[in-house]
Amino acid sequence: MKNPVTPLLLIALLIASTASARVPYTRLLADEANGDDWLSYSGGYRSERFSPLTQINRANVAALKVIWAYQMQPTDLPGAGLQETTPLVADGIMYLTESASSVTALDARTGRLLWHWAPDIDQAVLHIGFPKVNRGVAILDDTLYVATLDARLFALDAGTGAVRWSAAVADNSVGFSLTLAPLALDGRIIVGVSGAEAGVRGFIDAYDAKTGARQWRTYTVPAPGEPGSETWQGDSWQTGGGSTWLTGSYDPELDLLYWTTGNPAPDWNGDLRPGDNLFTCSLLALDPATGAMRWHFQYTPHDTHDWDANQIPVLVDGEVNGRQRRMVALANRNAFYYLVDRESGEFVLAAPYSRQTWAAAIDASGRPVLLPGNEPSEEGTLVWPSLQGATNWFSPSYNPQSQQFFVANRRMGSVYYKADAEYEPGKPFMGGGEQALSGDDAAGAVLALDGLTGRIQWQFPLQSPPWSGVMATAGDLVFGSTNEGYFFALDRVTGDPLWRFNTGDHIRTNPMGFAVDGRQRVAITGGRTLFVFGLE
Amino acid sequence: MRSILSAAVVALVVLSGALPASAADQAFVSPIPGLTAQDLAAGQQLFRLHCARCHGMLGEGGEGPSLKRARLQHAADDEALFDVITNGIAGTGMPATWSPNDAERWQIAGYVRSLGALPPEPMPGDPERGRLVYETRGGCGSCHIAAGAGRGVGPELTEVGLRRNAGYLRRALVNPDADYPMLSSQITGRINAFLTVRVVSADGEFEGLRVSEDEFSIQMRDLSGVIHSFDKRSLLSFDKAFDHSLMPGYDATLSETDVNDVVSYLMTLRGAPQEAP
Repeated sequence: MKNPVTPLLLIALLIASTASARVPYTRLLADEANGDDWLSYSGGYRSERFSPLTQINRANVAALKVIWAYQMQPTDLPGAGLQETTPLVADGIMYLTESASSVTALDARTGRLLWHWAPDIDQAVLHIGFPKVNRGVAILDDTLYVATLDARLFALDAGTGAVRWSAAVADNSVGFSLTLAPLALDGRIIVGVSGAEAGVRGFIDAYDAKTGARQWRTYTVPAPGEPGSETWQGDSWQTGGGSTWLTGSYDPELDLLYWTTGNPAPDWNGDLRPGDNLFTCSLLALDPATGAMRWHFQYTPHDTHDWDANQIPVLVDGEVNGRQRRMVALANRNAFYYLVDRESGEFVLAAPYSRQTWAAAIDASGRPVLLPGNEPSEEGTLVWPSLQGATNWFSPSYNPQSQQFFVANRRMGSVYYKADAEYEPGKPFMGGGEQALSGDDAAGAVLALDGLTGRIQWQFPLQSPPWSGVMATAGDLVFGSTNEGYFFALDRVTGDPLWRFNTGDHIRTNPMGFAVDGRQRVAITGGRTLFVFGLE
Repeated sequence: MRSILSAAVVALVVLSGALPASAADQAFVSPIPGLTAQDLAAGQQLFRLHCARCHGMLGEGGEGPSLKRARLQHAADDEALFDVITNGIAGTGMPATWSPNDAERWQIAGYVRSLGALPPEPMPGDPERGRLVYETRGGCGSCHIAAGAGRGVGPELTEVGLRRNAGYLRRALVNPDADYPMLSSQITGRINAFLTVRVVSADGEFEGLRVSEDEFSIQMRDLSGVIHSFDKRSLLSFDKAFDHSLMPGYDATLSETDVNDVVSYLMTLRGAPQEAP
């Protein structure tokens, strides 16, 4: 017999369902101020990755210890061992992603597993130009949203992991893939795609949070006749790249969504795509209701070094040259720190933060003044930074109280090669390669920049170019980590190391923070183990 | 669209004559089923881009092993060779590759297999005499383990005959500052596996070879084989000697004939000692 459900019980179930709604949009708007929860990838729409909690601080961080650890679930997908997730925490439950595009809920108090959900990912899933990773979930009301390697978007019941709906975002067989944490806005879920190394045409999508219906799609490479199409020739726009593989930011007052775009395709052979190649390597401001582009700012016109602008766009406010401005700060892979006015898209300033050999300056309009001899070549051209950039996808952090911008910095050059490239769907479309300097010829650092000038305040050297982000806290701390496995805390004023812990494996994630039972916690994943730290 | 590389590939193949003669024949027989002569030519060009820095422009070896062998140590079959080209070899200098696609990796594999048909490198001297020099006047066992014997300070030599060609071995003997064995990993990239470090701590001066290093600490092995660990912040001085090997140069103490004999002996070191019955 089928479940006999009486009308009365139905009403009761509806009430229960409403009561279990955990994270309405109003709570996402207050995420920055609420240190107990961590409700979106970057800890709030401004993407500051800043914890306002002060229980752990300069005076006591030396006593920080492991409270619990969680060892991730096995996966049978070959090569899917790297973890880039930022967990979310809502009302004492932690939600994280694991290999491959799977989702786990843990009791944030103890680390006990509550549920685990894994999508069926084909062993032959394409991942051209990037590892098989996932960076986390979004939460809205009682639903989690996870984007998958095979280019789907799933909505899961936050209480059980049951699938509410799924949507096919794009076709993995031509190279599309999703590795980012989605961004939840009011009633809609925003995602972007990877795949520029396979010559996809990038886009940003919005989906109805309740139904999974697609609300809009905005391409990052214009079709003939559209604004920006004059920066492409022939059919090159069809395989033009401009992927959108990192979570963006949102200004609720201006009602503008900020999203970044990656390299034009093919990566290293610009001869096949003459022009500036808008809107690749850019910051886009979109109307979240329609996807309409309000303005764009291109950091690296006609990029030939794979310097995606897929870094976290951080919303900062402050006075620059005597004028109070609302801005987007971004430490770009191309080794310059930029401030752009987030109302108009007007360029404010740029300052180099790492060794670079390709630009003499950034001019008054924000356009780089190129130095000669830096193009990839058949014999190889040595350029700083390397194609992985002076930083990469891993998150920076902004302390709005001290107006300091912290960034994990890769100090590495690369020999860039150019070759021909012929587009074939689902195949690499890169037009060359690189041999990066490595070992003792490369290094890293955590930098503190004056967020309103880009001036370097201090630098904490790292053994090798990092693949992990940073998080500042109101306890005057900056948490970061290393390839060598250390999770550490720096004094935000001096950059001095105050505490460290060896997780025993490569760290490739971002730190995040929360509180449970009134006790502040800080979390990082080393290898396949998630560690949660606290004072007691 | 024509490949801008294809003309260069043809020119290189014609000029170098590196491919086995059969590669250009009508009766071409691929060393890996399914590959064409064009695939092997493309594989040679890819090899020069990705592999030649360590394995030599003609696969003759250098910092990496010679590939002119019918049997490759880490690639018993073609799938294993493809896997090595794709993922590298953990704990060695062989890195993973990511920019060639699968078809291109097979082309590289085919070219590498074709090298196996080429004649092996001749020995420059007498390996038995070389063994005696190694064990007596050379004193090599005071820093190297070979087939289970010796002290483990410098690189183990048990399989060095598989890993290094005669030119590399000669250079290592007479000018050890010229080359360093490299390690490759996804984390560090390629790194000097035997970097000379000098440390002054409150306990005194130490010289040795780096075993491990991070932001906060350094671990080194001294010439007696003892491992030391130091907190970098506690050190009075800390230097890395990138251009100086602790291996002595033998050009002054051994004759040309001795060097050729030792090189020949090292070329015979091709595996672990047999298990005791």
